[in-house]
Amino acid sequence: MPDNAELLRLENLQVRFPMQSSAIDSILGRPKRVVRAVDGIDLNIARGEIVALVGESGSGKTTVGRIITKLVQPTGGRLLFDGTDMTMAHGVSGLRPYRHRVQMIFQDAYQALNPRHTVFDAVAEPLRSLGLVENHDQLTERVSESLSAAGLKPPEEFFARFPHELSGGQRQRVVVAGALGVRPELIVADEPVSMLDVSIRAQLLQALIDLREKYSLALLFITHDLPLAWLIADRIAVMYLGKVVEMGSADDITLKASHPYTLALRDATPKLHNEAGRGGVQALQGEVPSAARVPSGCRFHPRCPLAFERCRVEEPPAIAVGPQHTSACWLAK
Amino acid sequence: MSKINVLSRSRLRARAISGFLRHFIGHGGAQLGLVCLGFFLAVAAMPDTLVGPLETAITATGDFLAPPSRLHYLGTDEVGRDVLNLVVHGARISLTIALLATVISLVVGTTVGITAGYFGGLADVCLMRVTDFFFVVPSFVLALVITPVALEAMGAGGEILGFRPSLFVIIVVIGLTSWAFVARVIRSQTLSLKERTFIDRARVAGSSNTSIMLRHILPNLVPQVAANGALVVANAIYIETSLSFLGLGDPLQPSWGTLLSLAQRSGAASVGAWWYLGAPGVCVLTVSLAFVLIGNALDDTFNPRRRVIP
Ligand SMILES: Nc1ncnc2c1ncn2[C@@H]1O[C@H](COP(=O)(O)OP(=O)(O)OP(=O)(O)O)[C@@H](O)[C@H]1O
Ligand SMILES: [Mg+2]
Repeated sequence: MPDNAELLRLENLQVRFPMQSSAIDSILGRPKRVVRAVDGIDLNIARGEIVALVGESGSGKTTVGRIITKLVQPTGGRLLFDGTDMTMAHGVSGLRPYRHRVQMIFQDAYQALNPRHTVFDAVAEPLRSLGLVENHDQLTERVSESLSAAGLKPPEEFFARFPHELSGGQRQRVVVAGALGVRPELIVADEPVSMLDVSIRAQLLQALIDLREKYSLALLFITHDLPLAWLIADRIAVMYLGKVVEMGSADDITLKASHPYTLALRDATPKLHNEAGRGGVQALQGEVPSAARVPSGCRFHPRCPLAFERCRVEEPPAIAVGPQHTSACWLAK
Repeated sequence: MSKINVLSRSRLRARAISGFLRHFIGHGGAQLGLVCLGFFLAVAAMPDTLVGPLETAITATGDFLAPPSRLHYLGTDEVGRDVLNLVVHGARISLTIALLATVISLVVGTTVGITAGYFGGLADVCLMRVTDFFFVVPSFVLALVITPVALEAMGAGGEILGFRPSLFVIIVVIGLTSWAFVARVIRSQTLSLKERTFIDRARVAGSSNTSIMLRHILPNLVPQVAANGALVVANAIYIETSLSFLGLGDPLQPSWGTLLSLAQRSGAASVGAWWYLGAPGVCVLTVSLAFVLIGNALDDTFNPRRRVIP
């Protein structure tokens, strides 16, 4: 369970990717267009806490994960880990202690493994690179341990396999094992179970929850599946077009959601028994706008059924609607 | 447990390799190429046992420009040397030059290509401008520039690794003029490889840039290096032949190109001594064709998508 000591803190973090501007644009001196993939995010994760980051495709979830794992350099804001400012940290050796503490589980397991490396090599790589083992026996032991923890048993059977000799679910577990082997304090898990079938999904989630109990591992769990987030997370942050629109405990977000986007997300989830009638909000209309053209005012207003004049011009701040529960909506109270 | 692991690992590798070989050998072009190449490699490996030591004007035994006969299967040259003897010894020199030059060009080309592609930015721009220079500089001009330098450094009679200065120059020149092609292919492949997620995973794992380039990118470039390497050898044989034909070769270590040049200068064409020009010419054609066939077969085997489209 979370012990309230803050581990990670994101302050107004931004990432803008420059867009290829056309020749005409540069001749006319038009300003360079940018993709605002992450547009000012505040988020904190305590030791041993599981925070879910939920949002539609393209809302910038993966980019947040990549900032935290230092794969993308933020263009603004601050990244603090355990009280240290890591925003400007760079270089392989400079980041090594940080990498020991923060690991990532990648979204696409088909792409995340080098086709020419065996499972053993893949799981052993961080242990070797970060200098966490002294000899080969220790390495073998750590690799077997991580593979079993990720549910690949017996581990020896998988050592010599190449990725193309594994199923999608097994590859995903290898990626998980690679991150676990390091025994980090924080894992960014980018849709770790989206490729797995239901039974394996439950196993893997259970494995992650067990690890949290055992090592007080913190988890940033990225998913587009609100019920899944509720199942695993202590707190949920709902992201829309590069911004967190609502943030609160898992129960607050699922049962007492305040932001129209969260409500729409919740109602978009198919239910087996259509028990409660649909809430006051209709299902989401239209597409997520491009992150290169973020609407003025509240970024959700073009799709929001409750939008009024103020929403079109003024962007709502995060308004407290309860203890630890904020919502960026003018109607929130 | 560790022992089991090592055992089954090597067994799996062996299985993958034998699968690859089966596919490769099954390729018609590869078979023809391998047979030709094997023949010439065998010849080049033991010229002395096959035809005796290299004949010189002093040890020559035949008539001048005699046509093929029992005594001289491929006739003789203008000083009475046996052409078969010359061609067999030429095989060793031509193949060694081509293979060494290819090694230079693959090592330089792969290093430059990976570095430029992986680091990008300024390093990429600078390296690719240098590559462009070597891409367009004619090998003959480069040879003319390097020859005096090499002669100065080695002395006219000196040898490096058993090569006399002019051959050494030819090796270096071919190496220098053919790596640019390799570097471009490798760079573009590296550019797409480095966007793959497993490179990000290696970064998060704390691997250094060198380790990412050597352990993640390089192994995935083996198909490109192998397939292009075979084509570079074929090209190296052509450049070697043309440089020697232009008179840059060494008469004391005659390659096939040198033989063609000698034949040309002795007027073999005008007196109808077809065997003197034909023998080294056919050898050059056969060997480079063999390498092209092998290169294409490697490309096909490594790249299953190409197999579908004939
Ligand atoms: N390297 C990049 N260059 C330019 N734009 C990028 C880059 N990476 C991401 N983007 C853009 O940033 C936005 C957010 O992308 P991101 O991958 O973070 O979304 P996501 O929430 O993870 O989506 P999904 O659920 O589909 O994985 C998208 O509009 C995407 O096109
Ligand atoms: Mg994503």
